[in-house]
Amino acid sequence: MKNKYVFVTVMLAVLLFLSVGLTKIYVNHEEENKSEEYTVVTSFYPMYIAALNIVGDCENVKLENLSEPQTGCLHDYQLTPADMQLLSTADAFVINGGGIESFLGEVAEQYPDLKIIDASERVDLLEDNAHAWMSITDYMVQIETITEGLSELDAEDAGTFLANAESYLNKLQGLKAQADEVKQFTEGQNVVIFHEAYEYVAEEYGMNVSYGMDLDEERQVSAGEVAEVVRQVKEGGVKVILAEELYGKDMGDTVESETDAKVCYLDALVRGEYEADSYLNAMQNNITLLKEAFADEKDY
Amino acid sequence: MTEFFTAWWQYGFMRNAFLAVMIITPLFGLLGTMIVNRKMAFFSDALGHSALTGIAVGVVLGVTDTNLSMVVFAVIFALLLNKISSKSTASTDTIISVFSSCSVAVGLAILSKGGNFSKYSSLLVGDILSITRREIVYLIVIFAVTLIFWAVAFNKLNAVSMHRTLARSRHIPAALLENLFAVLIALIVMLSIKWVGILIINALLILPAASSRNLAVNMREYHFFSILFSMFSGILGLIISYFTNVATGPMIIIVASVIYFVTFAYQKAMHGN
Repeated sequence: MKNKYVFVTVMLAVLLFLSVGLTKIYVNHEEENKSEEYTVVTSFYPMYIAALNIVGDCENVKLENLSEPQTGCLHDYQLTPADMQLLSTADAFVINGGGIESFLGEVAEQYPDLKIIDASERVDLLEDNAHAWMSITDYMVQIETITEGLSELDAEDAGTFLANAESYLNKLQGLKAQADEVKQFTEGQNVVIFHEAYEYVAEEYGMNVSYGMDLDEERQVSAGEVAEVVRQVKEGGVKVILAEELYGKDMGDTVESETDAKVCYLDALVRGEYEADSYLNAMQNNITLLKEAFADEKDY
Repeated sequence: MTEFFTAWWQYGFMRNAFLAVMIITPLFGLLGTMIVNRKMAFFSDALGHSALTGIAVGVVLGVTDTNLSMVVFAVIFALLLNKISSKSTASTDTIISVFSSCSVAVGLAILSKGGNFSKYSSLLVGDILSITRREIVYLIVIFAVTLIFWAVAFNKLNAVSMHRTLARSRHIPAALLENLFAVLIALIVMLSIKWVGILIINALLILPAASSRNLAVNMREYHFFSILFSMFSGILGLIISYFTNVATGPMIIIVASVIYFVTFAYQKAMHGN
């Protein structure tokens, strides 16, 4: 009778010690694999590309992105345990800011010591809209802000960061010059946009947004809204609609067949290749598309 | 050693998870004893699978808190199962299997619409981050309800499961008790399924009680060991999963399984059969 209780106590104690021991061995083993690198974590795609260009091939810095939502934009994204653990190893966390990272409160609560670099700190954000990277001008400010933030936190590599940022900013300057050329066609034009992010495009190119709707993964459009868009396009003399291919295609096709307006599918830069030049290439593409869309209109 | 018990305490989600484990594992141990006695293991398994349908129904109806649709669906499902298995002539395990696969199919069909199932795949293995303050409040309520039910009805329920006709002759409302019991299981399974995971939640109900059966010689011991094993594997599994980056549900089950095998071996060694 008593034997049983002794047996249970011994069994549980042995299990406890075994698991503590094995876990310790496992954890120590893990730690050995960790090097002394400075870890920078970015919140999502455009921030990762920005940081990638600043960090460059700096060997002492490890750059990681949070695991991506499959749908692109970060709205309503929930952190996974892997994200939490990634952040626990992070020395700096680069975010776009302006409320896109809705999970930021959670992060700040869990890791009060984590250094957060808000890229949009010095950007004049539009109301309720933080897609600032869509404007080359604002993006350049973001690059400067991230570079400053990182240099402050990791003074050893500050020189490399500054040099990398400078060469990247030069390339962006080139893009900006092209965009300014296109601006002569776009200035003062009325446009309809199908994604919040394009408000920044409109701002940069001096266009007036006569109607905006935010089409994304969770959005179902009602017949009334379609009618409203068509009405706006006809009444406002809108020639071009800015949309995102993935979520705006159906709506774009409908409006194109109902009106004379042309739909220009721009890249909103929330997903793509994880390469340093991704932003440059995508933006270059966007400029070409805008130029085609608006310059053609002039010929009529 | 002390680090093992303290390092994770600084994280809010670990504290929530710890609280949830402290509340839910004794309940699993308690209800498990009766589930094992009444040979309802398959029943609770089917119930766990119905969570998928519950969530799907919630998604279709546009309910923001899928917990609610899950619980409502599971309660209906449990009552229906009870009713049909007491009426029909086909054997109970066939009926449960039909119900279980049917509800899983409906759930999968709805949730996988548009190739979006990956959004819900965390349900299968459980996600510890899904434990929120609100869920803990739910758990405390259900904890209290279960304790009251157990204190009032355990003896009667036990009588029903031993000899239904005899129990009826003593004016014990057998059907009512059985239904209440099924509803309780449904509630507890649904409230913990998001972090334990559909695939393994049943093990958490069955393993502690089964291990306890290897050792216990009376009802009191049976309950005591079951709750002890359940809490022990819950807490240890949670802490190990934190340090080893493994999903929590599976880790708890692994600890519980080890306990089962050790007690099984002990019983064989002591009693020889």
